[in-house]
Amino acid sequence: MSITRRLVAAGLPLAALVPAAAHARPAPAFTAVDADGKTRSLSEFRGKTVVLEWVNEGCPYVKKHYSGNMQGLQQAARNDGVVWLTIASSAPGKQGYFDAPAAKTWMEAKGAQPTALLLDGDNKVATLYKAKTTPHMFVIDKTGAVVYEGAIDTIPTSKVEDLPKAKNLVAAALADVKAGRKVATPFETPYGCSVKYKDA
Amino acid sequence: MFLKRAVLALQTLLAATLLAGAAIAGPVVNSGHIESELVAQESGIAPGGTIYVALRQKIIPGWHTYWRNPGDAGEATRIAWTLPQGWTAGDMVWPTPQKAKLGPLLDYAYEGEVLIPVPISAPADAQVGTTISLTADVAYLVCEQVCVPEDAKLTLLLPVVAGAAGADPKWGPVIADVLAKAPKPAGLKAVFKLDGQSLKLAVTGGPLKGADMAGAYFFPYSPKVIEHAAEQVIDRGPEGLTLTLKPGYDFVGGGTPPAELQGVIATKGGAWEVTATAGEPPATAAGLGAPPAQTAPATGTSGGLVGALVFAFLGGLILNLMPCVFPVLSMKAASLAGHAHDAGKTRLQGLVFLLGVVATFLVLAGLLLAVRAGGAAVGWGFQLQSPLVIAGLALLMLLVALNMSGVCEIGTSVQNVGSGASAQGGATGAFFTGALAVVVAAPCTAPFMAGALGYALTQPAVISLAVFLALALGFAAPFVAVAFIPGLLKLLPRPGAWMDVLKKGLAFPMYGAALWLVWVFAQQSGPLSLAHLLAAGVLAAFGAWLYGLGQARRASGKPALVSILVALVSMGLAIAIATFGALHAAPPAATASAEAPTGPGLAAEVWSPEKVAELQAAGRPVLVDFTAAWCVTCQVNEKVALSGSKVADAFKAQNAVYLKADWTNRDPVIAKALAEFNRVGVPLYVIYPKNGGQPVILPQLLTEGLVIEAIEKAGA
Repeated sequence: MSITRRLVAAGLPLAALVPAAAHARPAPAFTAVDADGKTRSLSEFRGKTVVLEWVNEGCPYVKKHYSGNMQGLQQAARNDGVVWLTIASSAPGKQGYFDAPAAKTWMEAKGAQPTALLLDGDNKVATLYKAKTTPHMFVIDKTGAVVYEGAIDTIPTSKVEDLPKAKNLVAAALADVKAGRKVATPFETPYGCSVKYKDA
Repeated sequence: MFLKRAVLALQTLLAATLLAGAAIAGPVVNSGHIESELVAQESGIAPGGTIYVALRQKIIPGWHTYWRNPGDAGEATRIAWTLPQGWTAGDMVWPTPQKAKLGPLLDYAYEGEVLIPVPISAPADAQVGTTISLTADVAYLVCEQVCVPEDAKLTLLLPVVAGAAGADPKWGPVIADVLAKAPKPAGLKAVFKLDGQSLKLAVTGGPLKGADMAGAYFFPYSPKVIEHAAEQVIDRGPEGLTLTLKPGYDFVGGGTPPAELQGVIATKGGAWEVTATAGEPPATAAGLGAPPAQTAPATGTSGGLVGALVFAFLGGLILNLMPCVFPVLSMKAASLAGHAHDAGKTRLQGLVFLLGVVATFLVLAGLLLAVRAGGAAVGWGFQLQSPLVIAGLALLMLLVALNMSGVCEIGTSVQNVGSGASAQGGATGAFFTGALAVVVAAPCTAPFMAGALGYALTQPAVISLAVFLALALGFAAPFVAVAFIPGLLKLLPRPGAWMDVLKKGLAFPMYGAALWLVWVFAQQSGPLSLAHLLAAGVLAAFGAWLYGLGQARRASGKPALVSILVALVSMGLAIAIATFGALHAAPPAATASAEAPTGPGLAAEVWSPEKVAELQAAGRPVLVDFTAAWCVTCQVNEKVALSGSKVADAFKAQNAVYLKADWTNRDPVIAKALAEFNRVGVPLYVIYPKNGGQPVILPQLLTEGLVIEAIEKAGA
């Protein structure tokens, strides 16, 4: 007993070093219901590149990117066979909370084209991924490893006029993944409104 | 003549100032949630000079803007200046932000009114007498639950004057105050070190030495170096402090660890800019444990010194009634009853007893303070964490009990009371009774006392000693009162043969005390050492019996040297064996205590700060039992209130966990945890509610109903 414990204790720091060295932390598995009432889980997309996008329709930073930038990115990604999951994690009563009809109305109005919009009002998926902002982006490769996390681009403002000047980091990560390269920028501090957690 | 000139000069100066005019702020811009304007520290600027112009924002209640590193979300306020040719604006001076918690996220924010000064420099060829216009395009995010990006175009007209213009009457002092309070370098030495999944930041020197560290916090300039929302664990040191931070992306996420860790270290007494470099944290930055909690939720010490003194006195009084003091109390009663017929001697006994109590308390307190000053995290009751002390006390108790049983009579017997020598012996006896009472009583910090002692140990030595003195006076008060108040004394029965019976009867609590100490020793030192101590006990008892025999022989005129010598040798041997046992202690594995409980009772798991955090994260209510084998109150509580099946059922129903922090042996982690609750001793019972709210401290004397009620509340 005590020897096992000691071995485990000795091994822990090593285990912690592994993902740090490779920066390939496994994407936590999750299940959530989408705007069509269908239960989706990350595991059903194994073998495909997956993008996670945190959304809050009322957030000025989300509005900035839904001026056309985000829709374009979604379309381009899906044309390349990438799965795009938009996740609404605002808790009920908070800004950006979606029930199924509200989510569909909003997607229609914006012309949003994700593979699915997941309803995460109980914050389960957001908690697993420690989602901080809207938008907060993740790119998960075919092996289920997070290869990019963070901001959508390099200019952290809510101004539409900054879009052309910024480098889109999700597009860059997807290009790297497609080309079989290591993702050049695997992290950038996410910016935007805070995710509206239920206890916030 | 001189006066006239001076007045004239003053008038000229005044006229010049008026002519040049003061800085004129443009209109206040209200962008919806914030009113903004530019204000200047001085009423003008000299060619080649630099003054501060501040962005002043009045934020509507409940909303906030962001610091230079906004934290987990948000966006820092930005200023874009439009200045005439040759004019320049320096870096924004950011006041220390506040922490804004949003569920699992933490932002660094400003609320209410904020002034952000910026140094503005005029070119050397600026024309005196002209007025220039400064324009600032300010963009900011203002959030409550929702966020709104707003902006404001602000202007300020600033006269160019010859020489110093003088402070702006309205904003000069305000901006000066903001600048004075803004974090700046203070010659602090800062070192960081990544240690697995924790990042140590040690800051020493200058204003941090001896500062109040409660609530100390590191605001990093980079958003990538730490997990903002993680708790920053404070460890104080003689020269500064060490914060244990949760490293962020740059350290453990795959980023490039920075060469320098820059940010603001904020304390109650001020905030300073630090630039830490990688290295080994100095020993002087840690070791004194966490600062005492800012608010003691239970038995408060809010009354400061006077309150602490009163609580200490009351605590001392109540200490007389605690289970661990009972054996000593019985000794006191026996000793007092022995002198009940003689008021003068009784008073002397009372005084000397008081002296013994006070002296022992102060010696112990002084020792404790000295050890703590040396950097060790020890608390009250520390003396009982040494098996050597426990072994010594156990033997002492045994000898006292044997003495009371009449096996040996050290000094004079009760029958001889009255002679001068016996009065002397009685006085010495009273002194040591007092001393012994304190030594045994100390670990059982009674209610009231915990708060006072917690307060005492965070204060300068003189105040600490004053609190201990109050405690000693309270402890000795009942005995002294009986000795000095004739009315009370008369209530005691007159001496007689019954006293011998009483004395022999009261020997049994003493045997109990000795057994208890042996049991504690067994917990600390393991079975082999226990065998040593038991053997030592038998030897000591044998020695005592022989000594008594020798004394009896001598009293009847027979030679007694041999028996007394053998007695002394066996006593010495007993001490040697006990010492050997204590020094070769092999405490049983820590896991044993966790697996021990059987039957329907509550099963305890071993406590650690990480375990508490883990269980809280999992949404389970937690009861932490800070205990020690040498603390009788703890043992009584565990038996009476924590081992029943009803309590176990309540825990099961709430999915609650019972964690035990066993302080029987010295443990700096436990000492630190106690310090966080403003305590320096056990018992301490803390309940962490399942929703992650403030921990609740339970009283020091528990009942089943109380525990069940508290755990149900925590699980609700």
